[in-house]
Amino acid sequence: MDINERIEEQLESNQVMLYMKGSPDFPQCGFSGQTVAALKAIGKPFAYVNIFEDPEIREGLKQYSNWPTFPQLYVKGELIGGCDIVIEMFESGELQKLLADIGEN
Amino acid sequence: MSINREQRIRQCLEELFQPTDLLLKDQSHLHAGHEGARDGKGHFDVTIVSQAFDGKSRIQRHRMVYAALGGLLESDIHALRIKALTPAERRSSTN
Repeated sequence: MDINERIEEQLESNQVMLYMKGSPDFPQCGFSGQTVAALKAIGKPFAYVNIFEDPEIREGLKQYSNWPTFPQLYVKGELIGGCDIVIEMFESGELQKLLADIGEN
Repeated sequence: MSINREQRIRQCLEELFQPTDLLLKDQSHLHAGHEGARDGKGHFDVTIVSQAFDGKSRIQRHRMVYAALGGLLESDIHALRIKALTPAERRSSTN
């Protein structure tokens, strides 16, 4: 499976997918940590990939999404943005709306 | 060194977006010693107000800023916090 297929498979099987540095319990970057905090505050389930543990994804995703930085949040396969956009949308209530129909598990 | 770096970033953004307001903060000192600071690249906060963002989504605006900075993202910038607004949005925002 090539890298784009791996990414697409991850995005298809997880409605809310966060590519981050570290894990939700131990974020290894402030921006990843803030993004996780917003998602946890909303309380919907999300999957994650720690890009430090998957260098192929780390490089491949930048090409795939044409987005140079991490974290990257995807909802239903679509790139929502990085930390700044996620926080802006959380503060305005848009993120809550976007995630409203995501199942509880 | 870091003044040049800031000037380069500022110049790139000014040329492409002709912003009505551009605030660039070097926050590298806040991250000294952390893993991302070791390569000598900087942490920056940018607030940019430009008509060029009118009608563009957040994603598009951030992509425009990343594209404008081009190679600086590789050579000089470890992390960049972006706030990209139109002049109208700036006027209606509380801060």
